[in-house]
Amino acid sequence: MNVLGFAWRSLVRQPARSTLGILGVAAVGALLFDMLLLSQGLLLSMRGLLDRMGFDVRVVSSDQFPGPGPDLDDAQTLAAQIAGLPSVRSVVTIRSESADLQRAGGESVRVTFLGVGGSTVRPWTVVSGRDIAADRELVLNAYAAEELDAAPGDAVLVKAFCFPEDTAPPQQTFRIAGIAEFLFDAPDTLGAATTADDLALACAQEAGKADFVAVVSAGDPEAAAAAISAQHPDLRAMTNEQAVGQLQQRGFTYFRQISTVLSTVTVSFALLLITVLLTVSVNQRLGEVAALRAIGFSQRRVVLDVLCESVLIVGIGGGLSLPLGWLLAQWLDGILKRMPNIPVQLHFFVFEPNALAVHALLLGATAILAAVYPMRIVARLPIAATLRNETVS
Amino acid sequence: MTNAVYHDTVLFADRVSRVFQMPAGPVVAVRDLTLTITQGEHAAIRGPSGCGKSTLLHMLGCVDTPTSGRLLFDGHDVTTLGDRARSLLRLRQIGFVFQRFFLLPMLTAAENVELPQAEAGVPKAERARRTFELLDYVGLAPRAGHRPSQLSGGEMQRVAIARALANRPRLLLADEPTGELDQTTGEQVAALLDRVNADGTALVIVTHDPALAGRARRILTMRDGRIEHEATQ
Repeated sequence: MNVLGFAWRSLVRQPARSTLGILGVAAVGALLFDMLLLSQGLLLSMRGLLDRMGFDVRVVSSDQFPGPGPDLDDAQTLAAQIAGLPSVRSVVTIRSESADLQRAGGESVRVTFLGVGGSTVRPWTVVSGRDIAADRELVLNAYAAEELDAAPGDAVLVKAFCFPEDTAPPQQTFRIAGIAEFLFDAPDTLGAATTADDLALACAQEAGKADFVAVVSAGDPEAAAAAISAQHPDLRAMTNEQAVGQLQQRGFTYFRQISTVLSTVTVSFALLLITVLLTVSVNQRLGEVAALRAIGFSQRRVVLDVLCESVLIVGIGGGLSLPLGWLLAQWLDGILKRMPNIPVQLHFFVFEPNALAVHALLLGATAILAAVYPMRIVARLPIAATLRNETVS
Repeated sequence: MTNAVYHDTVLFADRVSRVFQMPAGPVVAVRDLTLTITQGEHAAIRGPSGCGKSTLLHMLGCVDTPTSGRLLFDGHDVTTLGDRARSLLRLRQIGFVFQRFFLLPMLTAAENVELPQAEAGVPKAERARRTFELLDYVGLAPRAGHRPSQLSGGEMQRVAIARALANRPRLLLADEPTGELDQTTGEQVAALLDRVNADGTALVIVTHDPALAGRARRILTMRDGRIEHEATQ
């Protein structure tokens, strides 16, 4: 019987205790797994959303993204200049304002109103109807369409509220071309979008302003960002990776800090749990260990037996912790996403292979560290004295 | 002492002492004791509680180290051996039988007997054959698949004897092997030990039981850490 088989028999010998230990590790391991998913989850999710939008470089007027930086003036000229760079495939300008939308005889609804100019690449996906193809057309998200009780083909009155707010543009009539999905929509976000020119029309302003310019590179976003920065040193061109890096520095560090603290606590708890279990188990069979040593088992062998028991408890518990942790992550993600203004497609708990590797590494280290004290007990066990004490007792 | 002169000597304890350092002061358990165990010998050590019998047995079995003196196994000084070498010596040359059997409860009788062979690196097929042979030898082949909890005290001790013989030791040490058994069962175990000895294994038994001691050819009576009296029969 090899060492692992022997350790397995030792565990099976005390099924209740072993089961409790394994379940304890499974619970702790599930929490640990969730903390690892949480530590990078938002950033990975945000990166995924940015990538799925189809743009890999963003040009803004300040270092802050996303943020209330100054508008880009004459964005159309800027977009045309950027589009002329060899490392750039296409460019769109994006401007966001507010607007009240109203169907004839209906209630008005306040929406976020996007104006997109430049190429035909759109930061939305049409789910019914069609995309904007003519002047004074717009797309709505499903929630706005539901609130307006409107469908593609219907006309809506648009009253925009644009910066500077001292302007009072008249209502304009738009036609709903289609219903679209915006990647960053929260469940209660009312959204609409049109062309940059039609947004300017609704605002009664000259076209040209934009919050930022979104760029599709020719394949190398770093090179595109560098070329844009060289062309416009007064602006900030950042790749998706750099944008996520900004987010990580500015606000998402809380999740990583919380995750680190809770991971440390859970690993410590696992360590104590296994140490106590193994120590009690070893102390209950000191006589047997001494007898094994007397019949010729080496110190290394009895130490390995204890280590293998620890590895088995943590290994089985750790294996169980993964599906348990995944279920728990789904549940916690659902709770956190109930917070206001959280995009539907943004997740707090995101799986990445690295989390699995770190999880295995931490639990493996826990198994070894937890076995140190009980291993020390059996390694230093005085054989003769223990046999004598066992006989006397 | 050399192999050439004492070629049939298995163990030679040369003026060994064992002193335990206790809070109240040092306690001398074995005092300057010299003893020779030869091949095929059957010796019993008896004496009152606390006279040093078990301590002597533990030193002879290399699970304890003399505070002074030397212990020669097959002519080689084992007193200064490291833990690994001593473990190997115990595994291959010395068998132990304990008063409380110390069988592993999660293993069957056969697995208990197989365990020291596996540790010694005996191939699986040979282990299986040897295990069956040993269980048959102690009359428990039909109980090979039984766990210790399913065996009587006498049966457990017979399995323990089979385990002790697993790697064909030259010396078998038994510490009160009948201490936990009733008279009839104890006699069966004693008869089995006689047979083991008759088959060539040197046997040293520590016992309070005069009947068990009386079966030995050499009886050593200890008092205060010394051999007070020695008789052969």
